Amino acid sequence: MEERARRREVPALPRWRRARRVLLIAAVICLVPAAFSWVHALRRSRNISWNIATVEWVRAHGGNPLVSQIENWYYELNAPSKGGPPLRSLPRVGVATADAEAPEEHEVHIYRPPPIKPLIHPALPGEGVWKPASATAGKRPPVLLTTFRSDPEYPQFVAGVAWIDSGRTHLVYVPGLAEPPELENRGPAEVPPSKRDRIAATFNGGFPLETSNAGLVYRGQVLAPMVDGIATLVEYRGGRVDIRPWENGERVNPKIVFAKQNLPPIIDEGKLNPNLSDGPEWGATVNNAIRVWRSGLGVDKRGNLIYAAANYQTVESLAKILQRAGAVRAMELDINEDWTSFITYRHPGAVEPSNLLPEMFRPSTRYLEPDERDFFAVYVKGSK
Amino acid sequence: MTPGARARRALLVDVILAAIVAALALSFAAGLGVVAFFALPLLLIGLVWIAIERLVRRARRRHAGA
Repeated sequence: MEERARRREVPALPRWRRARRVLLIAAVICLVPAAFSWVHALRRSRNISWNIATVEWVRAHGGNPLVSQIENWYYELNAPSKGGPPLRSLPRVGVATADAEAPEEHEVHIYRPPPIKPLIHPALPGEGVWKPASATAGKRPPVLLTTFRSDPEYPQFVAGVAWIDSGRTHLVYVPGLAEPPELENRGPAEVPPSKRDRIAATFNGGFPLETSNAGLVYRGQVLAPMVDGIATLVEYRGGRVDIRPWENGERVNPKIVFAKQNLPPIIDEGKLNPNLSDGPEWGATVNNAIRVWRSGLGVDKRGNLIYAAANYQTVESLAKILQRAGAVRAMELDINEDWTSFITYRHPGAVEPSNLLPEMFRPSTRYLEPDERDFFAVYVKGSK
Repeated sequence: MTPGARARRALLVDVILAAIVAALALSFAAGLGVVAFFALPLLLIGLVWIAIERLVRRARRRHAGA
């Protein structure tokens, strides 16, 4: 009886404890629908880890500014320091076979891009020298690869560059499982097995539509309205591919097969965009001056494509890499280690896939299974 | 009113208040991702806080009883 009486004398909860209780119960209530949505997102078929999927879920559910701010802080805290010991070798890219030899003199019609002039001297073996991506490429390889040290102030940074012969290849835009978000009949979101005998390379697309605030046309259908002044990768009927700042408003030429926009051009008419150091112009994601994995795509004077990617790049340093590789017009593609991929296949049938740079985070089999985001596939045209 | 009944009524009031707070958060936040981003750490910190409080209280009681 005494025990019961003592319990009854327990005073009411103080106000701060009740406020804490209210907040904790409110947190539980809020987390119930969030948990359902998150579990639903994780259960979808995808080839990304649960933590990347979680970050993407937060981004897609109103948290993009939050995630971007945290990423900015993280990358600022982990910014690389200048200098450091020089590299002794570069990662091996491409294949060094008899096929890799330069075309003979009577084959003057076969164009090959000039080697990229090294920025740091003495040059390392193979620096800036193009090598075929495939062991069976023949005298006119559809894809050439090289690496070079891209910044004398950071002598350990290595950029990977790929040159894609537009005359020998056909570029295809492939929708991913979740990007673009609104699309019926999105297809397999991977390189279809039936087309793997002709696949030469695959590479990442641009920012998701939600964060790019840019347009997308696919199979002639406008999935997001086109925006003037934004860099646009366009494929016309007949297979011609170009990168240009969009100037047609929301009107879309019926000859366009796909048009993918991403941020303002970083190179136009051979010149770097003068606003590369202007933060707000480069989207509501990681700041333009933050050094992260970045990728970009350009065209050279002859209309061939040039892809570049490297870790620890700003928008400006990425543009300089593409310019040095010969791009006269270029756009930034996706960024961050989770999304940057350029993969080549050394043998027909997508056999022996290989990342452009060994430090690329995603596996080289990334696009041989359904992928979350949209990407580009480079197929070899006809016979070699 | 017995102390037990008073406690139950306080709990009911707190649950109703919590539901209102949750409804406001879910309505005005930019999305579920933002809500979860703040709610999960809040819940974890609150639970750890309560757990530490109980451990301290238990330790004090033991100390006082010894």
